[in-house]
Amino acid sequence: MIYFDNGATTFPKPECVVRAVNGALKYYGANPGRSGHNMSLKASETIYNCRVNCAKLFGIDKPENIIFTSNCTVALNTVIKGLLKSGDHVIISSLEHNAVVRPLEFMKNYGVEYSIADYVPYDDEKTIDNFRKLIKSNTRLVICTHASNVFGVKLPVERIAALCRIYGILFCVDAAQSAGVVPISLKDTCIDFLCTAGHKGLYGPMGTGILVINSEETPESLIQGGTGSMSSCRRQPEMLPDKYESGTPNLPGIAGLNAGVKFVLQRSPGKIEKNEMMLAQRMYDRLSNIKKVKLYTKRPDSKSFVPVISFNIDGYESEQTAVLLNDRFNIAVRAGLHCAPLAHEFFHTDEIGTVRAVMSVFSTQGQIEYFANAVHKISDFKNPSKKVAINI
Amino acid sequence: MENNLIIFDSITPVMKSRDLLKNHRISSRIVRTPAKLRKKSCGYSLYVKNGFSDALKIIKDNNVRYIGTSAVDYI
Repeated sequence: MIYFDNGATTFPKPECVVRAVNGALKYYGANPGRSGHNMSLKASETIYNCRVNCAKLFGIDKPENIIFTSNCTVALNTVIKGLLKSGDHVIISSLEHNAVVRPLEFMKNYGVEYSIADYVPYDDEKTIDNFRKLIKSNTRLVICTHASNVFGVKLPVERIAALCRIYGILFCVDAAQSAGVVPISLKDTCIDFLCTAGHKGLYGPMGTGILVINSEETPESLIQGGTGSMSSCRRQPEMLPDKYESGTPNLPGIAGLNAGVKFVLQRSPGKIEKNEMMLAQRMYDRLSNIKKVKLYTKRPDSKSFVPVISFNIDGYESEQTAVLLNDRFNIAVRAGLHCAPLAHEFFHTDEIGTVRAVMSVFSTQGQIEYFANAVHKISDFKNPSKKVAINI
Repeated sequence: MENNLIIFDSITPVMKSRDLLKNHRISSRIVRTPAKLRKKSCGYSLYVKNGFSDALKIIKDNNVRYIGTSAVDYI
């Protein structure tokens, strides 16, 4: 199968990741951070090593400020629910995922309000202005996706971070779609919290996520319990990462994530982005030459985009196109709303959704050509509705 | 007996300290904190046989939190 559903999770995983997961299960599957025997210490070593590599990737000095979660959603929930109190106001962008919107809707029940700043396509100044206009005396937090998971457009997070610093507002970035692809250094920006998935651009297994804390002010922990530290103290430890990592950690997952992060570091996010962007541009160019294909953004470039292409074919709902690509051409894409209805409302695609194709380091030019030819053939089908038979 | 053990709350600062010392060519070994020294912790310690005072300075200079020092003779 040709796999372009890398926005949901990357596939395949590098061999080193598979070996690392297997090795953790097979050779040193002891509980890390609890015991003193060699296997437990080896397990702890792997987890610590992963923190060090993640710290290197994201440009922070303190590996203990790398918090492992089960996914990006849990990391975002930790920031949102751990920081916000009744009376607080939050600003988010108009491209946010439900991982941001739904926790904030939930927090309305506890007296938290939020506003949505409109993204202005390819105009950073106007986008930043829209954030600035919404700042109120009780604005505590700004949350912003680094890049839309649907349309690939980047938000000017460095500039928004600087704006937040001026007004003393905490700033959280959802880097689910950009980490591992786009270079991110918290050393050079005023980002307080960075949340990301471990299983997308970092090539780790599913069930891994990361919260990077770059702020003296830290959220309350959402989960309390055993941490292997200060055990006779009934209160949850305040030190990082223990504060947020109660219970037995996902050793095989984190071992795989460690291998994935090393894989990314060896290649470097900038180079990965360059290669994937070249493929995304080729895909865009090929699709834009197909009469019935509708693309929603300008031709992607590294300044304003991550390598994500969203499109539709006239006469088809996005899901129909995805079914045909799967059934007739053995191509995997994701269609629909991609858990980001705000972004679809903004691009007026909330009725039919879009078909999304996302590259990875394993994508090739040949796959792009095959994909574009497949889309071309589908667009030439005489009666779209009769061509789609979903097998149940 | 001179101090040779640096006691920490948790595994992460121990590993961080071990790496810092390694960068300064000081070897150390991670051990479970002996029961009589644990106080409120069930954490880990760093056993430093040679260069203990240098090791402690490095850890302090890098703001790694430790909870005490001690001397043990059974490692």
